[in-house]
Amino acid sequence: MKQRVLACTVVLVLAVLTLGTGARGAGAPVKNPDTFVTLRFGDPESLDPAYAYDTASAEIIYPNVYETLITFDGSVLSRYVPLLATQVPSLQNGLVSKDGLTYTFPIRKGVKFHDGSTMTPEDVRYSMLRFMLQDRDGGPSWLLLTPLTGKDSTRAGDGKFQVTYQDVAKAVTVQGDNVVFHLAHPYGAFLSIIAGFSFVMPKAWAASHGDWDGSPTTWQRYNNPKLQDRYAFDHMDGTGPFKLQTWDRQAKQVILVRNDNYWRKPARLARVVIRTVQEFGTRRLQLQQGDADLIDVNRPEQSQVQGMAGVTIHDDLPQLVLQALHFNFKIDATGNPDVGSGKLDGNGIPPDFFSDVHVRRAFAYAFDYGTFIRDAYRGKAVQPNGPIIQGLLGYDPSAPRYTFDRNKAIAEFKEAWGGKVWDTGFKFTLTYNTGNTVRQIGAQILKDVVESLNPKFKLDIRNMQWSQFLQTTNAHKGTLYALGWAVDYPDPDDFAQPFLASNGDYPKRNSYHNAEADRLVREGATTVDPAKRAAIYKQLTRIAYQDVPQLYVAQPVGFVVMRSWVHGWYYNPVFGGANYYPLYKE
Amino acid sequence: MIAFIVRRLLLLPLVALGVTALIFALLQFLTPAMRASLYITDPKQLNALPDIIRKYHLDQPVYVQYGDWLRQVLHGDLGWSETAREPVADAIRGFFPATLELAMYAFLCILALGIWLGTASAVNKDKLIDHLSRVTSISGASLPTFVWALLLLMVFYGHFGWFPPGRLSLDADLYVRSGKFHVYTGLMTVDALLNGQGWIFWDAVRHLVLPVATLTYYLVAVLVRITRSSMLETLRADYVRTAQAKGLPRRIVVDRHARRNALIPVITLASLLFIGLLSGVVITESVFNYPGIGRWGVGASQQLDIPAVTGFALIFAGLLVLGNLCADVLYAVVDPRIRLQ
Repeated sequence: MKQRVLACTVVLVLAVLTLGTGARGAGAPVKNPDTFVTLRFGDPESLDPAYAYDTASAEIIYPNVYETLITFDGSVLSRYVPLLATQVPSLQNGLVSKDGLTYTFPIRKGVKFHDGSTMTPEDVRYSMLRFMLQDRDGGPSWLLLTPLTGKDSTRAGDGKFQVTYQDVAKAVTVQGDNVVFHLAHPYGAFLSIIAGFSFVMPKAWAASHGDWDGSPTTWQRYNNPKLQDRYAFDHMDGTGPFKLQTWDRQAKQVILVRNDNYWRKPARLARVVIRTVQEFGTRRLQLQQGDADLIDVNRPEQSQVQGMAGVTIHDDLPQLVLQALHFNFKIDATGNPDVGSGKLDGNGIPPDFFSDVHVRRAFAYAFDYGTFIRDAYRGKAVQPNGPIIQGLLGYDPSAPRYTFDRNKAIAEFKEAWGGKVWDTGFKFTLTYNTGNTVRQIGAQILKDVVESLNPKFKLDIRNMQWSQFLQTTNAHKGTLYALGWAVDYPDPDDFAQPFLASNGDYPKRNSYHNAEADRLVREGATTVDPAKRAAIYKQLTRIAYQDVPQLYVAQPVGFVVMRSWVHGWYYNPVFGGANYYPLYKE
Repeated sequence: MIAFIVRRLLLLPLVALGVTALIFALLQFLTPAMRASLYITDPKQLNALPDIIRKYHLDQPVYVQYGDWLRQVLHGDLGWSETAREPVADAIRGFFPATLELAMYAFLCILALGIWLGTASAVNKDKLIDHLSRVTSISGASLPTFVWALLLLMVFYGHFGWFPPGRLSLDADLYVRSGKFHVYTGLMTVDALLNGQGWIFWDAVRHLVLPVATLTYYLVAVLVRITRSSMLETLRADYVRTAQAKGLPRRIVVDRHARRNALIPVITLASLLFIGLLSGVVITESVFNYPGIGRWGVGASQQLDIPAVTGFALIFAGLLVLGNLCADVLYAVVDPRIRLQ
């Protein structure tokens, strides 16, 4: 009798397990049809459009909550359509001056901010000035500062101000219903920058919440703020199709709701939920069940969503992305657990450990690029030879690149710090962002090789929450860390400046400085002739090879994973994430 | 009885002091700059570490530092958490109710199931239920929590779609955030009932099923084993044999006479179970993306967020002390000999 009961129980359990299925396959009814759920492994750093400069923050900011004067025509980066302006300036319509120095944007009338106030040309001007003058370390302000003032930061290398209020005030003016940009030099990619970074917020709203009020005398107080200094850090007031409802940092969730007073037809989606879920397994199951519509998947995890019923993978998306490992030349060792003892005694590294080029070259030879591209990208990447990657003007396929060579790595380590590195060894921690298995694989590959070269070499690996990782590296506390770069605008300047100019994003974090590189980056930005520019960027590629401020480990192609019931999606490599406005579920 | 409880309560501050001394001693392995982050309550202070080191005497003898730190802790200042991007005390306040809710239900399930299964196993020694409970115990204790958690998630969410991860479904979450829902306790099931929202209650329960099942399966094994052996020993005792000889029904002998005495070691174990539960919560919350203090603690420790880890340790140590106190009191309630001593 008992055996029969046991047998029946087993059969019942097996029947339930094999027959009953709750997974939502193709043709299944759409779950939460008016709400779009995106699951990411990184959390936003800031919602302030003049502070944020990372993909997780950018997805919320643009083009979903804040809008720009013009935008890209769908996936095409070389064509623009008007957004908050009514026309795209061109030579033909006379809105770009013949000398290429003046761009006039007629501002759209009747556009309402989310707080109900009406957008004016003065709001546009204020937003541009705020974007430039806030200028936090490692932020996006250089994008407008460079073409409009000829300088890529408001502060010089010694920290003193090199840009005045008048410099930016005369660069952006209001003329009737128009906002006019006066460039310091002709700049072919200017419209591209405006399409990606001319976010508009209301001046009165910002000022009433303790932000800069537009006064010429007070802007310096608002320059280079800390992360949470500004009201706009976690509050938003744009003109876009969605409004910020909540940013719950404990639940790691942002909720955007439809702006029913949008100046265009309101979005079809009533709500967008962007949630951070660091476990890939959980993200995958939620996609499978239809509780998520779009999830972050790293290339090594792709096989786990391949063939999943009701799920679409948009693969082989061309992107201008560079994965790199960055050396910090002057590490802030204060309270920094990643430098060990802080000395070259076998149990740590000194703050200037990576300032010796032999150390950097040794790591460059110790990285197994082929294995990394095979394991982390399933072969869907190429090894770059510098920051000027394939697809950009000035890319030089003949430029030298580092290859994996254990003997050369050993030789370089033996030369580093007068031979002391080889004799005493070192120990430090390499960091990357949580959930990024591609970077985790890269870090593990480097660790395995480096530790096999000399038993006195110890390389630990640690992952960090995205927002904290950005803050830590920005505070000069990174040692050697894995962080990539996604295009802001498709021009070599967008890679040369952040990777090689002293005021660029990474050189600033890592205290890298090369006067010749600075000169060439400036020259590249201000030169009009494409042939001359190409030659300049080729020179910069050679400098990157000689100086090795970073290891350029991969230029991958992209892919996006979403439910098949998602419609209206298009790929634009400049957006941090999805443009939710045209999306709907059916 | 009251005197016993008062004695235990009087010992509580001493135990708490010992706990803080231990945690502080461990902090001494960190550099002054790393410890300085414990005194930060605003991110703007991050640039002023040398000033904080001076202000809080972090370069002074240990007892001076301990005094300063203890004063801070008593004022509720546990430092600034980089991972939560808010003061540690606020983060704990935010995350703790979710964990408390999870731990509470898991603890009840463990106690109920463990005692019932242990008793049934002892009463039916070497029968089918005894074998099943032993197999369950061994597999539960030997299977890593995260494996069991993932397995449950794959079957009951990935396959059946019954019990989703997280704390609430999208609709329920949106309702809770809509302003129509009043948060009384932070315990979602309780608040849902207090708001008269049965559907949110059931939604919260659906989200609790798998984490509670994971914790229960992981921890029930020990309780089953202890209850079983304790019951077997008690059932062999003279007074139980006497009760049976008197002709009392077996159920009354087992329930009223044997189990009560057999529960004494179980109560002692319950406080140890509580420790296991707290460590189990850490992994369970991470796998189920459950927004509690455990998930936050994992992230904080991975990212060397010292103030968060210290706050996490303090709160868990405090819970442990309270758990022990409850065990002592219950011990006295169940066994009069302890009161008399």
